[in-house]
Amino acid sequence: MNMMNIEKLIAVSSSGKDFEFEMPLKDKIVIQGEEYDIKLYYTEESGLYLVWNGKKYPVEIVKSKQNKYEILFNSISYSFTIETPFSLQRMKVLKVNKPSVGNISVKAPMPGKIVDIICQKGSKVSRGEPLLILEAMKMENEILSPIDGTVLSVSVSKDSTVMKDDILVEIEEKKG
Amino acid sequence: MNKLLIANRGEIAIRIMRTASRMGITTVAIKTALEPAAPYLATATEIYDNTAFTTAVPVFLDVDRIIAIAQEVGADAIHPGYGYLSESAYFAQKCIDQNITFVGPAPDAIYKMGNKTIAKRIARKIGIPMVDGSEGNISDADQAIKIAEKIGYPVIIKAASGGGGRGMRIVRKPEDMERNFNVASNESRKAFNDPSVFIEKYIENPKHIEIQVLGDTHGNVVHLGERECSIQRKSQKLLEEAPSSALDAKLREEIAGAAVELAKAVKYFSAGTVEFLLDADKKFYFMEMNTRIQVEHPVTETVTGIDLVEQQIKVARGEKLAFKQSDIKMKGWAIECRINSEDVQSGFVPSTGRIEKLEYPSSKHVRIDSGVTEGTTITTGFDSMIFKLIVSGENRKDAIENCKKALDELWITGIKTTLPFFRMLLRNEDFVKGNFSTSFVENKLDNFVLADKNEEALAAWIATKLFFEEHFSDDSNLDYEKGKDLGPWLLNRRIGQF
Repeated sequence: MNMMNIEKLIAVSSSGKDFEFEMPLKDKIVIQGEEYDIKLYYTEESGLYLVWNGKKYPVEIVKSKQNKYEILFNSISYSFTIETPFSLQRMKVLKVNKPSVGNISVKAPMPGKIVDIICQKGSKVSRGEPLLILEAMKMENEILSPIDGTVLSVSVSKDSTVMKDDILVEIEEKKG
Repeated sequence: MNKLLIANRGEIAIRIMRTASRMGITTVAIKTALEPAAPYLATATEIYDNTAFTTAVPVFLDVDRIIAIAQEVGADAIHPGYGYLSESAYFAQKCIDQNITFVGPAPDAIYKMGNKTIAKRIARKIGIPMVDGSEGNISDADQAIKIAEKIGYPVIIKAASGGGGRGMRIVRKPEDMERNFNVASNESRKAFNDPSVFIEKYIENPKHIEIQVLGDTHGNVVHLGERECSIQRKSQKLLEEAPSSALDAKLREEIAGAAVELAKAVKYFSAGTVEFLLDADKKFYFMEMNTRIQVEHPVTETVTGIDLVEQQIKVARGEKLAFKQSDIKMKGWAIECRINSEDVQSGFVPSTGRIEKLEYPSSKHVRIDSGVTEGTTITTGFDSMIFKLIVSGENRKDAIENCKKALDELWITGIKTTLPFFRMLLRNEDFVKGNFSTSFVENKLDNFVLADKNEEALAAWIATKLFFEEHFSDDSNLDYEKGKDLGPWLLNRRIGQF
């Protein structure tokens, strides 16, 4: 990607917040109207960390793919997509045009065994309702529906073993 | 007692061996195929290599195997720790039969208190208050529904042989009974090898208060005050305190008195814990007795200055308690945070991986009971609790301040943990005021981590930095070959893919 002409990049958080940074990126950040020096370091002793305002914070890059990043900053996970002014504009246009209903894939949060399936194809489920039970670390974990909707498909069967991020159930979001 | 076999792993194995070694006792730890390089092995005087035995049942649950190992290494005593065989009357009896000292109470007391139905009968007989429920185990969901209609919803289904929150489910309406009954029963069968469950009335928003008791084989029983364990999620304790801000001296005497009476009723010796619910009107109800050393025992040790494992060992040797009730003085305040390998932002699901960096806070107020080190790989094969941070202070406010400082200093990377949860909790106004019950975590918290706008902006800068370096990498300012500057972390093979 030739980015020499790009004036700024925007980090869009999973909660929809925009953070703008001028290009080329400097080791500076403006927080609440004030500019601070900021720097990433890597040492054998501490691993990756950031220094801001005289304090060290541990940094971990959990996932990265194309323009998507999950950063564990001071033990808290943040997800961002990095956009150029052009791609951000396009993303916002797409968002407006996209209908607000969609299909959601419920994925296994951890490896384990499916010990019970509560929902079935066609079931109406509400947010927070258990879909199935996944056993891991000797605990039975209820996998809950993240939305109100209808179960489109159940991709696992009872007693099957799943890996982390395997798709378990697909749900069509309720309209309106 | 010359040689003590530790029938356990992780932090509790290390904690037991420390005290045993200090008392001049040789310790033996068991090396298993699942974690042949586990840190607890390094604390032991001797290591028994059990890696060749790979059975479906973990060795720590295998009565015959543990006894055989004890005999092979010439151990004259076994400490079961918590979980595993710690509350198996059968195991305790087997030890006795083989002339091995079981560091814990008598099999009879384990059996009576371990069986919740018998425990309730005994408690009722000596007049300890308790909640309504099924008189014994229930066989199916239909029977559970009948009883629930009699005592009123919500009810709680509990494993008869349970503990630690496993095999427990709250049911608020009849149509949820069957599913929850099956889940509780299954969990119970897997965790305790016993599918029996019972039900009782569920007290809304109670506090979980437990009393530490200690008895000897000469009929003496004392209490070491209470622990406040209301900060829990799905009945799994997350943070414990000693003492509890919910009790005054009079109520403490009443509850602790009931606990001592119960212990005496079953001729209890060794360390034990009597759990109570305390409702909004400060009425208390007996829940159950745990006949083992508990995860949260360090907070009691911190405020009483008594080493509970040392007392367990002394009692197991037949010694009399060296102190009376009036000799036990509580001083200051202690808070324990359970650092679990869990992703609190994804509903506390287990987090697996390798602990890359681990730095503990250094302060005279901090005690760490840990079962891991840098480089330890966390799998889903074991309990998610990896270490405990125990912080003391002169009073609750002081302890909270010290705890906040300790949590800020704690540095752990490679896995997600409950650390950010505690950073948030210790700053929560209701928590600080002592205004919380067992439903607090699940019902009163909107966020499980401390939402900090500045930190989010810093994280956004890092993500942008990564993207920028990847796409601008014309090698003008980076030297991947030599691994300088940004090289090592950009090239980190561990970075996952979406």
